[in-house]
Amino acid sequence: MELIMKQMPIVFNALNVGFLHTLQLFFITLIGALPLGLLIALGTMSRFKLLSLFNRIVIWIVRGSPLMIQLLIIYYFPGLVLHNPIWGGGETGRFWAASVAFIINYACYFAEIYRGGIQSIPNGQTEAGLVLGMTHRQIFFHVKLLQMIKAIVPPISNEIITLVKDTSLSRIIALQEIIWAGQSFLKGSQGISGAVWPLFFTAIYYLVWNGIMTVALGRLEKRLSYFK
Amino acid sequence: MKKLLSLLLAAAMLLTLTAAFAEDSDLAYVQGKGKLVVGITDFAPMDYKNEAGEWIGFDADMAKAFGASIGVEVELIEIDWDNKVLELNGKTIDCVWNGMTLTDEVKSAMSCSNAYANNAQVVILPADKAASYADVPALSGLTFAVEAGSAGEAEVKALGYATTAVSTQADTLMEVAAGTSDAAVIDALMAAAMVGEGTGYAGLTYTFSLNSEEYGVGFRTGSDLVDALNAFLAASYADGTMQAIAETYGVQAAIIPQA
Amino acid sequence: MAILEVEHIQKSFGGTRVLEDISFSLEKGKTLSLIGSSGSGKTTLLRCLNFLETPDQGIIRVNGEVLFDGSQPLKQSASELRKKRLHFGLVFQSFNLFPQYTALGNVMLAGSLLAKERPDYKEHRREIQAELEATGRDLLAQMGLKEKVDNYPHQLSGGQCQRVAIARALALHPDILCFDEPTSALDPELTGEVLRVIRELAERETTMMIVTHEMVFARDVADTVIFMDDGKICEQGKPLDVFDHPKEERTKQFLARYREQR
Repeated sequence: MELIMKQMPIVFNALNVGFLHTLQLFFITLIGALPLGLLIALGTMSRFKLLSLFNRIVIWIVRGSPLMIQLLIIYYFPGLVLHNPIWGGGETGRFWAASVAFIINYACYFAEIYRGGIQSIPNGQTEAGLVLGMTHRQIFFHVKLLQMIKAIVPPISNEIITLVKDTSLSRIIALQEIIWAGQSFLKGSQGISGAVWPLFFTAIYYLVWNGIMTVALGRLEKRLSYFK
Repeated sequence: MKKLLSLLLAAAMLLTLTAAFAEDSDLAYVQGKGKLVVGITDFAPMDYKNEAGEWIGFDADMAKAFGASIGVEVELIEIDWDNKVLELNGKTIDCVWNGMTLTDEVKSAMSCSNAYANNAQVVILPADKAASYADVPALSGLTFAVEAGSAGEAEVKALGYATTAVSTQADTLMEVAAGTSDAAVIDALMAAAMVGEGTGYAGLTYTFSLNSEEYGVGFRTGSDLVDALNAFLAASYADGTMQAIAETYGVQAAIIPQA
Repeated sequence: MAILEVEHIQKSFGGTRVLEDISFSLEKGKTLSLIGSSGSGKTTLLRCLNFLETPDQGIIRVNGEVLFDGSQPLKQSASELRKKRLHFGLVFQSFNLFPQYTALGNVMLAGSLLAKERPDYKEHRREIQAELEATGRDLLAQMGLKEKVDNYPHQLSGGQCQRVAIARALALHPDILCFDEPTSALDPELTGEVLRVIRELAERETTMMIVTHEMVFARDVADTVIFMDDGKICEQGKPLDVFDHPKEERTKQFLARYREQR
């Protein structure tokens, strides 16, 4: 116990730094993947058969293969095959490579949710808008968008909760997120080695953050419950 | 569909072609970008963080000195040890300098420098039981925790003793401390730093060496940085820099003379 | 002069002919009932008039202006199409109210979006919005929904929803208001309130086209009745003539089937 008390300041400092990386990756992924997913979804529903086919293939590849492999490919492929290590070896490069992999991966999952959301809105809504002299743009923004958001909030919430935990996969390209930080004390770091508790303690960080996310997303869902 | 297939084939061929024309000089490449990226893990006393969060250690300091000698900055970056060859070939790092044992596997996967330090695989036992084992044959019947794929695992397997593979050397110590394995086999330099009085594992001690081995620095296959480093090692041994750095970290006894 | 003139409209889906040589006209302030069995093309005809479908051939004129001419199928711009659509209003079988807007919001939405395109909108924003709101409230009151202006569609009964939809269509002052089976999705006890509202509109000389299966209502409210069968106009005339003295065999059969069901 005394030993743990002595280790605590060092460990928490390292875990906080690691969790900061986790959160950065989390937010960057959302900022990138939420809009990109919409573009991909619109692409799959496009009248241009080639674009639609291309987007469907991308979704199939990205959702059908492990994110861990995607991380490895995106980070190592440029240097390994093209002889141009665009990301560099530093922490920043690793972070951006991980961000790109996560954004693409999650955008494809979001795309399928968006598509479901868009298609869940009856055609009658569009027709009602058209006969009232509204443009397709107005119909999208003033009629369909909010209904679509309401339809996708629950499935998107699920993905967001999963994303928080998935960020730990980025350690495969040595992005030093919180689990890496926790495990370093097991391997030996900053004079502490063989300490198991920091690794297990990382779970508390995830739990707290996912608690906050669950409450926030639940509120959003509730705010949209005024219509059916 | 046929068109797509032929396009893919063409792309694949182009890639193999470009792969064939590797850089002429790795040294020129590193000097061109002005930075040597060194892949490490947290491995006291070779590479570890000081209170200020900077990487220090015998390997870290030597790497910085080497960088200065070829006129580039040195960036030490923590990698996943399992991916070290991927990192090298993917050019995300330029060398692996982290108390790396020069095994046949390592030497076939990368171009290595001359050996610069001696190491051994040593047996870790609970301090109170160490006296009951007089020699290596007495250890038969014990279960050994070893790092998966490590030199230690190979040594124990060669003896025909039972092993439990775990993911890091530090984990093997956990196993012995927790009593889930009877003994462990790890690097001597690491054992010196992590086991015994004044460490996290005061109840453990290290006894026999199962072999002797050497540490070296790994580069991309065919890299001319190997020659540059060998020349640097020779020079720094000749003028005593290497020995001075070794003394800072208490590893002077392990240094291999360079010529 | 007729407010609406339709000449030789043809429409096929795939290889199936849905409308064949449809011609009729409608006087201002009059009500036209469209009757016929399911699949006879009534709904498609309404959808063609509202530009939800494009006829293959034929001419549609409103107030003498040609809105559609199948022999000159020029690509019309989206904004032209919008303008043309505004000559017509359409009340759907399934209401198609916007669920996230209140009753008043549903009635006002299209109007306020159109108002934003007016050049003087920025200057007179408040007055314009106040006027739209007053009109909306007034229309809902006419529909007997004075108490329900702030309710969302899911808080209203089917009959109330349909009355909101009628107010929404009226808010844009269409020349011709079309109803596509306005009571078919309602429970029987709720049809009365909707039919009453439509009757009142007829009394106030709203120009209307009503597709309906309510034969008694069709006969009472209409000035003209068209009986459609298999994509063609089989018989048209005054309600008394069509209902009580049908000339065509198909009309007689159709009406007889309805009487049996009663």
